[in-house]
Amino acid sequence: MGGQTGFGPVPAGEGGGPPFAADWEARVYALAAVLRRRGLFNDDELRDAIERLPPGEYLAASYYERWLAALETLAAEKGVP
Amino acid sequence: MTYQVGSRVRVRTGDPDHHTRVPRYVRGHTGEIVAALGRWPVPDDSARGLPPRVETCYAIRFSAADLWGGGDHTVTVDLWESYLDRP
Amino acid sequence: MTGHEDLPAAARARRLEERLIAAGLTSDDEIDDFLTRLYANASPVNGARMAARAWTDPAYRALLLTDGNAAASQFGFTVAPPADGGYQLRVVANTEQVHNVIVCTLCSCYPVSLLGPSPGWYKSFAYRSRTVREPRAVLAEFGVTLPDTTRISVWDSTSEARYLVLPARPAGTGALGEDQLTALVTRNGLIGTALV
Repeated sequence: MGGQTGFGPVPAGEGGGPPFAADWEARVYALAAVLRRRGLFNDDELRDAIERLPPGEYLAASYYERWLAALETLAAEKGVP
Repeated sequence: MTYQVGSRVRVRTGDPDHHTRVPRYVRGHTGEIVAALGRWPVPDDSARGLPPRVETCYAIRFSAADLWGGGDHTVTVDLWESYLDRP
Repeated sequence: MTGHEDLPAAARARRLEERLIAAGLTSDDEIDDFLTRLYANASPVNGARMAARAWTDPAYRALLLTDGNAAASQFGFTVAPPADGGYQLRVVANTEQVHNVIVCTLCSCYPVSLLGPSPGWYKSFAYRSRTVREPRAVLAEFGVTLPDTTRISVWDSTSEARYLVLPARPAGTGALGEDQLTALVTRNGLIGTALV
């Protein structure tokens, strides 16, 4: 989305936001890393799954909500019961 | 490695319906190669579970004036060889 | 019937974890262990130490700017090459003429092992969209004002390379030791959204 307009100021204040706003976000980050390490999917497949979210969902979701949705997509597509 | 550091290359246009790592804002623009990076699998292939082509990735510098019609900064973007054409 | 998408994210995340654990693809121990290691090992102090060393040792500076992975490994930091699931570290030096800023417009790629997990602002749509287009205005929102004569060089991390800024050594620090210099180098300074 480089160059896209309309997103307003950068949320730079107060140290600018912790890496993980809640425990579940850190766990989603860790989950993606360990599954990638195990070979369930590669980095490009994860990015692709994030990009395939419907645009409305992509824009409305927070960063780690997008990761979570992508992991759910990949789990389904890779046949996880 | 097809292109030399210092030479100018043009980014292919096109809007593939699969994953790619060409930012929209450089498509169709011409920039200068500032470095040849590694030879890496092309993400367009890896994302689709295809045996990937392995290609040289280049760091390519664009001027703000060219990209946005104004500004005095530059933007350097890493692009795989098949994303590029001679100008 | 309520679809799982309606659950709060924390509950959805836990449900997904349980499914993957039941399928034998991970475990609570593995997830916990990953996070323990992440918090213990990945920190902006890593990048800061490399910058401070580069300020005091010209040979290290030269190595840092030509082979970032080798420079990182001299400190024992984990930067495996891309083929092994890591990244190619490229370090770009600030000078009086050029100020560097790092962004990933496509998704928010970031050298986590040398800076720790990325801050919220780096992942924001505003930072991702505006930094390549109006870096001076973005820097102003971080309280950074550069002379008109300084050119801004923005690096968009679109490949297996991850970028780090080598800030310019501040004036008047000639008498400081490496530990004191390390303390001057902030995470934002290593991304380019602060001067040190």
